[in-house]
Amino acid sequence: MTTVNMMINGQAYGPMDVRDDLTMNDFLRECLGMTGTKFGCGAGQCLSCSVIVDNPDGTSHTNPTCIVSAANFNGKKIRTIEGHAKNGELTILQKSFIEHFSFQCGYCTPGFLNEGQVLLERLEKKPLVREDLESAIGEALDGHLCRCTGYVKYHEAVKAAILKEPKRYLKDGGR
Amino acid sequence: MKATRREFVQWAVASGISLGVSRIGVAEIPGFLSHETLPGRGTKTPKTGRVDGVAKATGAKLYASDFRASDLPGWPPETSHALLVRTPNATHIYLGLDLERLSKIARPSVLVTSEDMKRVNIRVPEFYAGDLFCPAGTTPVYLGQPVAMLIFEKFDVFDQARLALRDGNFLKFGKETGPLTLPNYGAFRFTRVAGATPSDPDVYSPVQAGWISPGFLESSGRPIWKPLPVAKGSEYVKGATYGEEIRAKLASKDPDVLMLDRKFETQSVDPMFLEPEAGLAWYDPASKKLETVLGVQSPFEATESLAHLLGEAIPTLKPKIIDAQFAYVGGGFGGRDHTPFTLYVGLAGMFFPGHPVRLAHDRFQQFQGGVKRHAFKMRTQMSVDRATGKITAFAADHVLDGGGLMNYSPSVATVGGTGALGIYDVPRVDVTTVAEHTRGVTAGSMRGYGTLQTMTALESLVDEICTLLPMDQVEFRRRNALRLGGKIMTGHAYSVSVRTSEILDKLEVHPIWANRAEEKARAKPGFLIGTGVAIAAKDYGTGADCSLGRVEIDADGRISIHSDAVEMGNGIGTALANRVSYHVGGIADEVTVAQVDAFDVLELVKTGDPFTMSQDAQDAGAKNTRWVPEISSATSASIGAHVGTHAAAQAARIIFRFGLWPAALVLWGIAPSDPRAKQSEEAYWQGDTLVMTGLDPLPLKNIAAKAHRLNLVTGATAHAFSRWSWSQASFLISGETWSTDIDALAVRYGGSKFTRLDRSSVTFPPTDFNRIGVAFASLCGTGVRVEIEKATGKLQIVKAYSVLECGKALVPEVVVGQSQGGFAMGVGYALFENLPPFEDGPGNGQWNLGQYLIARGSDLPLHDLEIEILPPVSSNEPPKGMAEVVMIPVVPALLSAIYDAIGHRFQSLPVTQQMIKDAIA
Amino acid sequence: MKNRLWILTGIIGIVLIFILRAEAKSASAKPLLENTLASPESFASIKDPQKLSAAYFTELSKVLTNQRCVNCHPSGDTPRQGDTRRLHQPLVYRGVDGFGTNSMRCSTCHQSANFEPGRIPGHPGWHLAPSEMAWEGKTVPEICEQIKDPQRNGNRTLHDLIDHIGKDTLVGWAWQPGYGRTPAPGTQAQAGALVEAWVNSGAACPQQQSSR
Repeated sequence: MTTVNMMINGQAYGPMDVRDDLTMNDFLRECLGMTGTKFGCGAGQCLSCSVIVDNPDGTSHTNPTCIVSAANFNGKKIRTIEGHAKNGELTILQKSFIEHFSFQCGYCTPGFLNEGQVLLERLEKKPLVREDLESAIGEALDGHLCRCTGYVKYHEAVKAAILKEPKRYLKDGGR
Repeated sequence: MKATRREFVQWAVASGISLGVSRIGVAEIPGFLSHETLPGRGTKTPKTGRVDGVAKATGAKLYASDFRASDLPGWPPETSHALLVRTPNATHIYLGLDLERLSKIARPSVLVTSEDMKRVNIRVPEFYAGDLFCPAGTTPVYLGQPVAMLIFEKFDVFDQARLALRDGNFLKFGKETGPLTLPNYGAFRFTRVAGATPSDPDVYSPVQAGWISPGFLESSGRPIWKPLPVAKGSEYVKGATYGEEIRAKLASKDPDVLMLDRKFETQSVDPMFLEPEAGLAWYDPASKKLETVLGVQSPFEATESLAHLLGEAIPTLKPKIIDAQFAYVGGGFGGRDHTPFTLYVGLAGMFFPGHPVRLAHDRFQQFQGGVKRHAFKMRTQMSVDRATGKITAFAADHVLDGGGLMNYSPSVATVGGTGALGIYDVPRVDVTTVAEHTRGVTAGSMRGYGTLQTMTALESLVDEICTLLPMDQVEFRRRNALRLGGKIMTGHAYSVSVRTSEILDKLEVHPIWANRAEEKARAKPGFLIGTGVAIAAKDYGTGADCSLGRVEIDADGRISIHSDAVEMGNGIGTALANRVSYHVGGIADEVTVAQVDAFDVLELVKTGDPFTMSQDAQDAGAKNTRWVPEISSATSASIGAHVGTHAAAQAARIIFRFGLWPAALVLWGIAPSDPRAKQSEEAYWQGDTLVMTGLDPLPLKNIAAKAHRLNLVTGATAHAFSRWSWSQASFLISGETWSTDIDALAVRYGGSKFTRLDRSSVTFPPTDFNRIGVAFASLCGTGVRVEIEKATGKLQIVKAYSVLECGKALVPEVVVGQSQGGFAMGVGYALFENLPPFEDGPGNGQWNLGQYLIARGSDLPLHDLEIEILPPVSSNEPPKGMAEVVMIPVVPALLSAIYDAIGHRFQSLPVTQQMIKDAIA
Repeated sequence: MKNRLWILTGIIGIVLIFILRAEAKSASAKPLLENTLASPESFASIKDPQKLSAAYFTELSKVLTNQRCVNCHPSGDTPRQGDTRRLHQPLVYRGVDGFGTNSMRCSTCHQSANFEPGRIPGHPGWHLAPSEMAWEGKTVPEICEQIKDPQRNGNRTLHDLIDHIGKDTLVGWAWQPGYGRTPAPGTQAQAGALVEAWVNSGAACPQQQSSR
């Protein structure tokens, strides 16, 4: 057993004792009842279980939760799909996903949303030139599997969210 | 013979189990339905998007796998967890579970085995016939067959047991028996000989003569297709004799005729919906009520099956009430239509009384236990007149691997068989098909339903014929394409639009096809370029499709919709809202799907199987104004748009005609005697404003308020049934006779309760229509350009185009999305996905993603995938099902493009990078 | 139509026919792969010093060409995985530092140790060998020449290799790879002993004709 503490969507959880072989996914879904983070494969393949980890150096990355122990997240700050909207106000990316009909069954959406959000935040810190945008989105989202949509509308939604504010995400405002 | 649905329901009634009774909610925990009613009153939503958009983008609890006991009002707070132990061995005698060893790691609270099924008298519904658990002392019927269910009170113990069972061998086996040999699931022959000219009646067809099956088997269990000179089975002999004539002609050498005879094999694949199957069940022994939360494509069937399962159980394990609740589904693709998983969820609840129990597959278990797509072995023959390029005859023989249980195997065999001729009009056709039992994982319904396999073989053959004639691939198809009024293999014509010419025209002029020679010549050094094209016609509907819909408008003009259709990503909720808004102006802010108990006011009854009932039985049934041939059907067979929205649309139309329109007349000050009062058809909605030329536009809000004050119709609940055409009935509403395409109706006046209306006359589609097989089809054509690296065999799809027709697209964005998704699933099927049969396959419990590859973003032309939807043939063309057809042509188009690039034809799937590399070398 | 067909099949009848298939192979009859390493002493009969040294390397090459090593010494930018050496899924790339790309760092999934519930291997330093150290598709003599070349062995002396192969914990993972992955042959200590013997005997390489 390991005693864990973590910050999830700005709220402190713990101290809680967890089995060393308890996955972070089960910790979220079974122990905390936070089922917005999905279980898809349990093998780190579909990434529908990804959450955002906010690192102490100010960077963030997504992390699958089904192949990583809850103990490994001890002391970390994470964000899940439940934490994006604030007071019912959707983020730009959430709106873009909805307006572009990005998802169908929606089961892989949490992973795509977290990955897209991390990409936006990364570009905000380190903008890209416009011509690299499609490949950056492609690389970011490629680990995520979706069975309904053919991925096109996810890519369109992330791109649209970035191009809505080119000055924020692109070098020279995207020109 | 077998139990029919009638028996299910009779049993449910006779055994005193009532179904689908709603729960009394507890205040602090929101009820299950409040999670499933979307977008939900007061939810801020973007201007466009799906009704489930906000819920899905914010991680709301929605899917069956999201719910635990503590999320449900009135349930005990703790969730227990069940685990199905499945066998990786179907060639040795199963002796039992090493419970002693397992218990040292994790001790289950409850063990359920085959013996318990007998002890408590569990009855398996006929559709799932077979042992729910392999009895000790017998050889398992198939790989992945459950041998036991373990229930653990605490999650941690369950989780440790799950890992131990996954990684260790706890099943004991004895003597080797080899796999069990069981009878095939069905064998059918479809033979058609057309008359001398297209206007002459057929000489022989399945519609004329009925469907035929061979009556004799070889010792191996294979059907004997040749007509035997015995009196028995004379119907078969007649058809088979025509069939053999066609075969003999195909075999005869004629220099003026090109005859091709090819074999083609397709693989088993997994639907790979992202949400593994999961469910929750709680049996409260005090109230004798079983509550479940499930996620399936067939909620009504699931409820009936649970009632059948427990209908004769011993008193302590027989519920009085089953309250089955159905959640949004994380992908279905057919794989959740009639899934046996439901039965095990019910058992999990019953065998741990008082404890809510969750049964949920992990992905290994989903691969091991979920239904698969049938692997096909096919032989296809086609003869073509060299001078005219016309197909003169077609023959095919299909052998399906049905896996361990029958499930939908016979049906997939026939749909695949009757779909084997795609878009072509051919005068002489002979197709045999047999679905075999094997020890593989059970195969069942999956997107394409047998036609993906047979049309891939067909279109590959056509492609080769075009090379050999030679003739342009589009031109050849044009010469042989079915047109409106043309007969398909079963001997009748589609009753919907048939737009082969338009689809072919579109493909022909598209730059992918038009520029193929230039692009091929422009290949980079080390690369090969190829272009391919293919087209498919896929039936939709099953011949017994039902629609249940309830629409209500409150005094503030807010709309709510209830439907029995299931939302599995197909956008049914959004389609419902859009189709209803066409009649009542506003977009609903409450859409509830997958409901089985919201239509009780209709008091519907049924007495037989709609597929097999006689005309007399139907006529007798129809005398009871509460009787319908079938009450509810699965969300499958691409019927979402066409069927799923139909009843709600009819209900909305009634609300408009008998509620909103008369209220509007009052607001406008138009007297009933005024001729304009009869012109309701000329009014239309602009957003939520009703517009009528020459009159002030009226907001829905005001009209609704007036309709409520005047006690006009403000709600309607309707049922509709289609057997290749809708049943029709008349009802007296507000003193007026209203005839329309529904067969049961209840209305609400003002704020009152719903009242059921007796129909004054009814016409159900004749039972003879059951011989048709299919009457609805939609078309899709696909062109692809591929680039193949010579050194590695790596294939990249550089450009693709799909053109489809689906009548009126209710939500065009969803249609485009489904087309893109179908394209991706087709690419996976053609190039990546593969489950080996038997011991190395998913039944061994060791399969997961990673080993099983589906298409990912980088495998697709994300920026060069063009989807075109043909506009409807007329403004009132109804919606047509399109979710299956869009995944089919991409597969043969890719094979055609690969041939064009490397000069090799592959006759099996998937075509992997290594296979391409080897073929180039 | 879907429902009606299972009615029609009643024609065939439901009779169980059990057939004993005598020829069916036993499910558990897979032969065990040879998964051991010979000790340096066992080559004592080879008198030619060149051949002896080369023989040490040939024995060691059972480790170097094992999938546990080659999967992460790939010829391209993508590792392989599993005993079948399939391409790593999800597709990942070495990135500029060998630790993955921006969106897919090795360490996001590969933690500090194997995590069996997810069947995922782990080590604190999980990463890809640099491109110049690729072994995939190479013959044993080629790998031998490569491993001696500081330009292509991570700037190591021959002596460094003894510890790298014999003691490095990331290399050592190959002998504790977790469920479903066959360990590299022998033990890490045995592999280290072979490297030491090879280095001390002049680090001769086997001739080209030897199999990989």
